[in-house]
Amino acid sequence: MGDPVTQTIHRDPALFYWILFPISIVMILTGILRHYATILLQTTPKKLSLPALREQRQLLHGINLRTNYSAISASSFTARKNYMVAAYKNGDFLKDPENRGKPAGNPMTDPAAMEGMMGMMKGNMAMMIPQTLIMSWINAFFAGFVIMKLPFPLTLRFKSMLQSGIATHDLDVRWVSSLSWYFLNLFGLQSVFIFILGDDNAANQMAQQMQQMNPGGAGAMFQPGQDPDKVFRNEAENLEVVEHEYVLQGVEERVLALP
Amino acid sequence: MMSFNSSLRQSNSEALSLSQQTAQYLQKHASTGTSIIPIPFIYHPESTEIWLMYEKLLLSCLRTGDDKAAHLCLEKLIDRFGATNERVMGLRGLYQEAVAKDDAALERILREYDEVLAGDPVNTPVAKRRIALLRSLSRTTDAIDALTELLESSPTDIEAWTELSDLYISQSLLPQAVFCLEEVLLVAPSAWNIHARLGEVLYISATNGNDNVDGKTLAEAMRRFCRSIELCDDYLRGYYGLKLTSDRLLSAFPDDSKATGQIVPAENGELPMPSTTTVRKLNEKATSKLAEITRRAMDQGYNYAEVIAAKELLDKSTQTRQR
Repeated sequence: MGDPVTQTIHRDPALFYWILFPISIVMILTGILRHYATILLQTTPKKLSLPALREQRQLLHGINLRTNYSAISASSFTARKNYMVAAYKNGDFLKDPENRGKPAGNPMTDPAAMEGMMGMMKGNMAMMIPQTLIMSWINAFFAGFVIMKLPFPLTLRFKSMLQSGIATHDLDVRWVSSLSWYFLNLFGLQSVFIFILGDDNAANQMAQQMQQMNPGGAGAMFQPGQDPDKVFRNEAENLEVVEHEYVLQGVEERVLALP
Repeated sequence: MMSFNSSLRQSNSEALSLSQQTAQYLQKHASTGTSIIPIPFIYHPESTEIWLMYEKLLLSCLRTGDDKAAHLCLEKLIDRFGATNERVMGLRGLYQEAVAKDDAALERILREYDEVLAGDPVNTPVAKRRIALLRSLSRTTDAIDALTELLESSPTDIEAWTELSDLYISQSLLPQAVFCLEEVLLVAPSAWNIHARLGEVLYISATNGNDNVDGKTLAEAMRRFCRSIELCDDYLRGYYGLKLTSDRLLSAFPDDSKATGQIVPAENGELPMPSTTTVRKLNEKATSKLAEITRRAMDQGYNYAEVIAAKELLDKSTQTRQR
């Protein structure tokens, strides 16, 4: 077999100027716009009240004790454990002790949870709307154009990725269709946005989705609709079964073994 | 150019060099955050580091007495985050305390803090500033009260626990200080400096200034120092403490034959006394290590005062041995 026949498609250079550049520029501009739109739409996270803060931190305290108990001596550990288990079981740290034992309310009626959901909605909207608009814009105007040829060969698997919108079997994988160029831009512009907007920008939707997957921070201790009393009771049980070990046990030998 | 270490770990010279660079830095980043919508390519893109740097510069300038530059940094931060931002409020309070002329001015600032906290009890930076101010007004018991209140609502705050232990030590309430340091270890179990600190407090409470030492506590202190050495190679403070405690143990219990060789954990989980041979070995190791460290300390960034103290300890022990 000889060299595969190189396909040549004579393209109007105008394709290059009127499709490739516009799509890239529009993508960058929407990214920047999205960044500022998200900033404008952002509501400052609502501050926790003192009892709520206390509830979370005291739970965290128990978890810390359970994970790092080996740092303190057995007597110190037992004293802390007894105190905390009793307090957890009594519900001393609860935000609203009178609600204890009642079934948790519907998360939809909880204003704090509602606010979080609204924030998420807004974020989603800021991503969805421009994306749909640009998709339909490209579909309406530029569907079916082959706009560039990649300077390196690719395997057949990339065909569906690079040539969406063009239904041809024989076309070399190196040709890129306009719709695919849009997708490449969608996923590949993050470094450009970092360059323009700084590190923690909201321009790229992928990063945003990642953020929404794990909304870290203080709010993650209790999921909405979870009964804090139950969480505390669980933690008390976990604490009760901890078998104490002391890290200072045999530390002299370990130090003597050091070089 | 500049290190992004925690400002608490800076040495004096570092703080000085940092604060000397302030003017330069301010000029370079003069454009940051000035316009509401920064135009890309012309202005520096905003990033979290820049603002952390401003905060660090502010602290360094205050340490080195460059109040003017500190004020510039503070203004930048206020411009960007607003005067009602908690962290900015804390920094602003710090600046005001630094430039306050006399105790009356400090009292005025204290009243301001009280007002802020009455409106917003969750404002931790201001609450902490208030405690620090109470301490510098030498109202230690008030500071301790305020700290325990703060820790009641956020018992995982390492900074507060360490401060509280410090306050307790200043009141020579050593068991309480030990408790606080243990709390710190529960959050950060491999903080070697806290292990060593705990060892120091235990050592003080074991010897307590007189000759009849509490062997159990002293052994515990020694083990704490061992742990700190295990966590951090060539840790000067750790070896110093190890030498001090093992010396003390050897002189107090010259050879207790009953503890030799048997390592049986006593009931209720307490650790047994270490055998004399182990202590002696540890003592020898600490001595040789200290000698080694002091020999090559100058070019390795050890704290000068600590090295001198270590040398003194070594000299003293060789003298006693010769006698």
